[in-house]
Amino acid sequence: MKVTDAAVFPYPCGDTSVRRFALEAKALGFDSIVALDTQPCTCEGVDVLSGILIREGQVKDVIPRVKRAREAGSVVAVCAGDNGFNRAVISLKGVHILRGMHTADKNGFDHVAAKMAADTGVAVDIDLSVLVSARGMARQRAIHRYRDILVLEQRFGFPLTLSSHARSYLDLRSVREITGLCSLIGMDSDAAGRALGTIGRLTEPAEPAVRVVS
Amino acid sequence: MTPRPPTLRENRRYILARIEPAGTAVEPKELYYAIADAVTSLWGDAVAGVIVQAVMSIENGHVIIRCLRGTERELTIALSTVTACRDTRLALRIVAASGTIESLRDRIRGGSTAEPGPENPAAVFDRKEIAIVYCNGQKVDVTGKGFKNAHRLFVTRSELENG
Repeated sequence: MKVTDAAVFPYPCGDTSVRRFALEAKALGFDSIVALDTQPCTCEGVDVLSGILIREGQVKDVIPRVKRAREAGSVVAVCAGDNGFNRAVISLKGVHILRGMHTADKNGFDHVAAKMAADTGVAVDIDLSVLVSARGMARQRAIHRYRDILVLEQRFGFPLTLSSHARSYLDLRSVREITGLCSLIGMDSDAAGRALGTIGRLTEPAEPAVRVVS
Repeated sequence: MTPRPPTLRENRRYILARIEPAGTAVEPKELYYAIADAVTSLWGDAVAGVIVQAVMSIENGHVIIRCLRGTERELTIALSTVTACRDTRLALRIVAASGTIESLRDRIRGGSTAEPGPENPAAVFDRKEIAIVYCNGQKVDVTGKGFKNAHRLFVTRSELENG
């Protein structure tokens, strides 16, 4: 199982280069990172996966971008919106992650969307940058939303991912620190470990539908 | 006030954290306020009153923080939410926890440290002239040349071209 940070923003979006991110991630206990808008590579023994973050308000705008990203073999994440948008995005082939749940509509991710995510294997992202850098009401609201998502996850079993959303290596957190932060939202260390390994499972090639036994 | 006998004293634990980025000048008092703010905003006044965190010393890019024994977990989670000290961006990376300050000082002495950049620090990164500020093995911290480009970039040695 590969321990992966599901979203980092290297230079020029942030102040840290991809290689430096890989070095720091290795020191903090990660096997791979998803770097947005970069080419996939392996740096210092850490797999750098290419990621695309789609922020569109309309599903019709999301579809062509997902198609292009699928051809490029990137990890595709879409920012969540209202309930209808989320359900439509979850049913799109090629979408790996639905992210930004803490800022999405309050009823944006209900039990129907959770069931759909479990059926299609789309992961819901837990953005740890809110728990780290936000204070007061913003953090309280995020904790409440993430706890709500965890209740649905335990019921329906859709995958979760954990991302630092780091624009600098200073925003990265070690695996142990992430486990501690996840305990704030009621996630035990096993669940946090599973969530860190989700990207590896999402990106591995699918098994053929028919297998010849003999 | 008469000091309490050892059996009646509170047991303390000490946490060693590395201050990143390397070479960040931090005042102990300012860092104490940053940590106290992180602890209070995360756990509230009631738990902060139990943790009774204190910055013991800042040595060689590391900080030693004291807490009540049994509250290390709460303190380390709160330390991971420290992102700045006054206006300086920083991160505290937990290195070790111990019952004595002296054993943590041994850890500081045994660890590698970042060195200031060379005398002639000119180099090129992404077709821009930059100055090397700190380097530690492959890791290099640079700043852009000129007044407007003074923010720090974090790169590796292999990504630099000599100017």
